[in-house]
Amino acid sequence: MNQNDKGVFNALAGDRSEKADLLHGVFRKLGVNFASGVPCGVLRHIIKNFEDDAAMLHVIANRESEAVGLAVGAYFGGKTPVIYMQNSGLFSASNDIASLLVPYRMPIFFVVSYRGCEGEDAVQHLTTGQATERLLESFGLPFKVFENQNLENLTRSLFETMRKAGLPTFLLLKRGWHR
Amino acid sequence: MNRQEAIEVIMTTIGAQDAVVSTTGLISREIFEKFDSERNIYVPGSMGLASSIGLGLAMAQPTKRVVVIDGDASLLMNLGSAVTIGNKQPTNLLHIVLDNGAYASCSEERSMSNTAKLDVLAGEVGYQYVRTADSQNGLKRAIMEFGQGPGFILTKIELGGRRDFRRPLELAAIKSRFMLFFTRQTQGDQL
Repeated sequence: MNQNDKGVFNALAGDRSEKADLLHGVFRKLGVNFASGVPCGVLRHIIKNFEDDAAMLHVIANRESEAVGLAVGAYFGGKTPVIYMQNSGLFSASNDIASLLVPYRMPIFFVVSYRGCEGEDAVQHLTTGQATERLLESFGLPFKVFENQNLENLTRSLFETMRKAGLPTFLLLKRGWHR
Repeated sequence: MNRQEAIEVIMTTIGAQDAVVSTTGLISREIFEKFDSERNIYVPGSMGLASSIGLGLAMAQPTKRVVVIDGDASLLMNLGSAVTIGNKQPTNLLHIVLDNGAYASCSEERSMSNTAKLDVLAGEVGYQYVRTADSQNGLKRAIMEFGQGPGFILTKIELGGRRDFRRPLELAAIKSRFMLFFTRQTQGDQL
């Protein structure tokens, strides 16, 4: 690892999240062993946990669609993948979800950061923010927004729904979720 | 060489246990009609993702060979995937691009592959085995000589050919039989 790489990881030094660690542990217990996605600051602790876990195959993708493709391949190869992205990217990848994951009945779990909610300071997130839940509803796909419920129970229950339905399923995390 | 001839060469030259991931449109539909098999995954929508799916599969099962049959326009639609493949270095992945310089499954509108040196690009981003082929013999040889990947074979084909293929529709069943095929292979390897 060169000095620049160290600098990147130092940005997270001392910035751990008990909730992110708990979520990672739940993923491990549920058999997750592959992760792919596009980074978002809201998900940084989750991504670092994927990266630091030697038992996890982790591929950071160039685009959200690519992450969907990688996870589909991993699933075909017997892995249990998780995909992560920002909700802006969910719109980029929406056709891949609709035309690949749904007709192939792929139970793949998504962790999606939910920008454009109350208190949002960036205008580029407002349109996708107000459309995010409606997008998933219109696709008929299961999702839950984390609002400080018991995170382990919420995640386990979403996995159960996902495996029964055979459909991609989504956990939405708002800014500050990790505290 | 046309699409039909290229597909025939690929499907009769690769190993019987190799997985096949084919791109959207006529390439998948021709393979489905003529060479349907439990080892095949078709990418009916999500144009561009065949190489990403192939990489995920190759990483998940590093002892199995994965053959991606892509098109020039679908490669260009997800060109970042070539960089990811070069970065991850899956030795078991062979990426074959059928290049007719067009969106042939639509109405043969021109793509931009004619001004891009896609084979040079593949070598520069980290593919270890790069070949070009413009004849059936050349393509057959390029496949047979493939050893350690990631491999890339840029295959020039003529535009045109049959279009009235049926579509793969029972995708959940195609998924189940593929995963059974792969599991059985894995068990066999352990004996």
